[in-house]
Amino acid sequence: MKKLMFFLLLVNFSNVKSQSELLIPKEAITVFSINNINLLQKISVDELIQYEFMEEVHQELFDGSTSEKTLKDAGIDFNQRLNVFYGKNNDYELSGFTFGVSDLTNLFEVFDDFEELQSKYDNTKLYGSFFNNLIIKNNAALLIRFEPSYELVNRKTDSIWYSRGNLPPFDFNEEAFNEEVFETEDSTYLEPIIYDQEELPIEIDDPNEKNYNELRDSVQITLQEALLTNLLDALFIDNLNLVKSDTRFSEQFTHPCEATFYFDNSRSFKTANGLWYFQTIMPSIYKDLQELYTGNIILGDLFLKEKSIDFMVKTYYGEELGDIYSEMNDAKFDKNIAKYIHKGNSAFFTYNVNMKKAYEKAYETIMPIISAEKNADVAMNVLMLELLNEFVDKDAVFDTYKGSMFGTFNGIKKINTKKIEFIYDEITFEYEEQETEAVEDMPVFTLGFSMGREDIPEIILRNLGKLTSKFEKHDDYWVLKNAILEAAPLYMISKNNLFIFTNDEDLAVNHSDGYGTNSLPKKLVRKLKRGGFMNGYLDIAGTLNRFPSDLLNNQQSEMINSLKGKSGKMYLGSSKTTNKLTAFNLKYEFNGTEYSGQHLLDLINTVYIFSK
Amino acid sequence: MNKVFLFCLSLILLLSSCIELIDDLTIHNDGSGTFKYTMNLSSSKIKVNSILALDSINGKKVLSKAEIKSKINLFASHLKTQAGISNVSVSINDLELIVKFSCDFTSVSTLQNGLKNSLIAINNIKNTEDLNQNWLSYDGEVLKRNIPLFSITLSDHVKELDIDLLKTGNYTSINRFDRPIVKVEKVGAKINPSRTACMLKVSTYDLHKNYSLIDNCIYLSPIKNK
Repeated sequence: MKKLMFFLLLVNFSNVKSQSELLIPKEAITVFSINNINLLQKISVDELIQYEFMEEVHQELFDGSTSEKTLKDAGIDFNQRLNVFYGKNNDYELSGFTFGVSDLTNLFEVFDDFEELQSKYDNTKLYGSFFNNLIIKNNAALLIRFEPSYELVNRKTDSIWYSRGNLPPFDFNEEAFNEEVFETEDSTYLEPIIYDQEELPIEIDDPNEKNYNELRDSVQITLQEALLTNLLDALFIDNLNLVKSDTRFSEQFTHPCEATFYFDNSRSFKTANGLWYFQTIMPSIYKDLQELYTGNIILGDLFLKEKSIDFMVKTYYGEELGDIYSEMNDAKFDKNIAKYIHKGNSAFFTYNVNMKKAYEKAYETIMPIISAEKNADVAMNVLMLELLNEFVDKDAVFDTYKGSMFGTFNGIKKINTKKIEFIYDEITFEYEEQETEAVEDMPVFTLGFSMGREDIPEIILRNLGKLTSKFEKHDDYWVLKNAILEAAPLYMISKNNLFIFTNDEDLAVNHSDGYGTNSLPKKLVRKLKRGGFMNGYLDIAGTLNRFPSDLLNNQQSEMINSLKGKSGKMYLGSSKTTNKLTAFNLKYEFNGTEYSGQHLLDLINTVYIFSK
Repeated sequence: MNKVFLFCLSLILLLSSCIELIDDLTIHNDGSGTFKYTMNLSSSKIKVNSILALDSINGKKVLSKAEIKSKINLFASHLKTQAGISNVSVSINDLELIVKFSCDFTSVSTLQNGLKNSLIAINNIKNTEDLNQNWLSYDGEVLKRNIPLFSITLSDHVKELDIDLLKTGNYTSINRFDRPIVKVEKVGAKINPSRTACMLKVSTYDLHKNYSLIDNCIYLSPIKNK
């Protein structure tokens, strides 16, 4: 009975929404809500603000006053959730976090740059600093940075500037433009453009009238204030927040997990950017395509265990997009794939889709949208698509490329190449070239595709083989010499209804029918068969720790760096796709001795960077 | 697909590789001569090609093979116009990644000036202070060689990733004369049996750490009057 009471109390407790999540603005698109923040008590404030998900708001904290302070000393209420949020659209970008407050004195020792401002909201105190605003209501706080977008500020400023009868504010210096932008053949990178003094906005005689930059600053501040006021009015007068405006988000707070994740893809800036062409050129298609994204949302729960973190994610979508996805993912796992994945691989993925069904469903859903557009270019494209649909043998196409594929990383291997050495005559010191054998290290990859028509690649390869001697046919495989970076051969295997590209000589020469007993264990294969369209495995130490992040863009680099130095394994699995959702399960098993709260933050950070 | 390819490429960049450089300077009794320079990257084909396949590295643009070729050819065409320089020849084996360059010169100073002017022209170098240094001098009896200051400035920018390229590489400097060598200052330099050539081989990695390794002073026997 006591156990039952305790259980009921626990369930009841987890269902009660604390004050902090009621301060999450409805404009937020991405939210991490950490439930069991007791886990983070040992983490110092300085350590916390090193995470990218705190970067937008960390200036206030990172000013030296926080050294050696832990969250425990910061006046934070650990019975409430810590909610980190982010949102961006064409007009603004906002970020911040909400949390419980237990001790205001301690809190303001950390947030020591804030000054109290006048508040028009009941029981609410408003504080401001150069970048951020802090709002405290009852025992919950919202720290927020809300900024109008660069484009919005420019648009509004230009509108005011020209309506006052002003001329263009910047002189166009054609000579400088040509020199700085186009004549860069001889430099290895683009130098930043430094404008001469005369290119700055023209000074206006009347000191009471603002020049363009001054006007722009004023517009920016006015917009910022207006945006913040709207947001705060909604939160504190209309009581509108994300929990109230999205029931799916609200429902997540009933989950007994350490943290939850919310990402509304239908409002995502990235999605909007992807549809930019339609938005500007064909607005009616844009509207219809945008409707396809309605309801496209990703919800996740993080469960922290002793030596692992389980990340359960559900991707929801609208009916029409759901129909396409469910048709596309209605594919059986190709058991032949498992034969070609060595049990010792550092990383692999499998991807099962039915491209033919996806094509047919997409054709059925998207063609009416495009056909309805009254535009000559679109009409010609529609005609072309309809003719292709009628004339092309779709069975042959989709039997050749079914859509299912797999990839593996087989580690670093020595491969044989040729090199030129200069051999010196010891009498004259003259030298001549001599071709010798060389061995170079090469990361070994395999990429394979399911197919029902082994004869098609055979036709292509046979004919290519007649064109160049670089193609060679062997009993079990084809080889294209010097195909990879003009140094290493690429092997192609067409067997077992798979077409495989690999630079692994051992696979092509000795295992063209698969690795046999050294392939994936049967238990894992059964799991892959039962799973959905996507599965993956990654040994972090064996792959990511060797990844040179210098070569990636900032976001990719941050994501890889956030996992570097870890040792552990990641498993990705997915459920069967329905027309409403697909579920994914990412399991992160770690071996390190690090505090588990840190692992949780690391994973949250990785997901945050990925979703940003 | 592109991401998979990028992943493959970037892992390749972690791998070790080597570079072979040969400079071969012949000076006749009248001070004229031939300069040959060879860069051999054939044993690092995978690494170099993987770098060349990228658009940028460390935020800096990576030149394509065609751009590199055009730059080398531009250098050669500038050199051809320099006083005292003739028979400029460039061969680029872009499959094996070997570049060979040679030219004849009327004196060591014309060679030095020709190289300086051509480098300034193709690199748009505005600060020519480093290029004022004489890294080669020959008075008819003694040949002094230093490492050019501008190459030190350039190699200071070599990142860790590129230093890997130097680790197993080597730099060979050969000097040939019509008459016998009396003495070579640099310990480790080899003189051929007829004493008309000397060869100094150093590791490119060691050279990057200590530029004076390649400095040398070669003393020749007096010219015999016929």
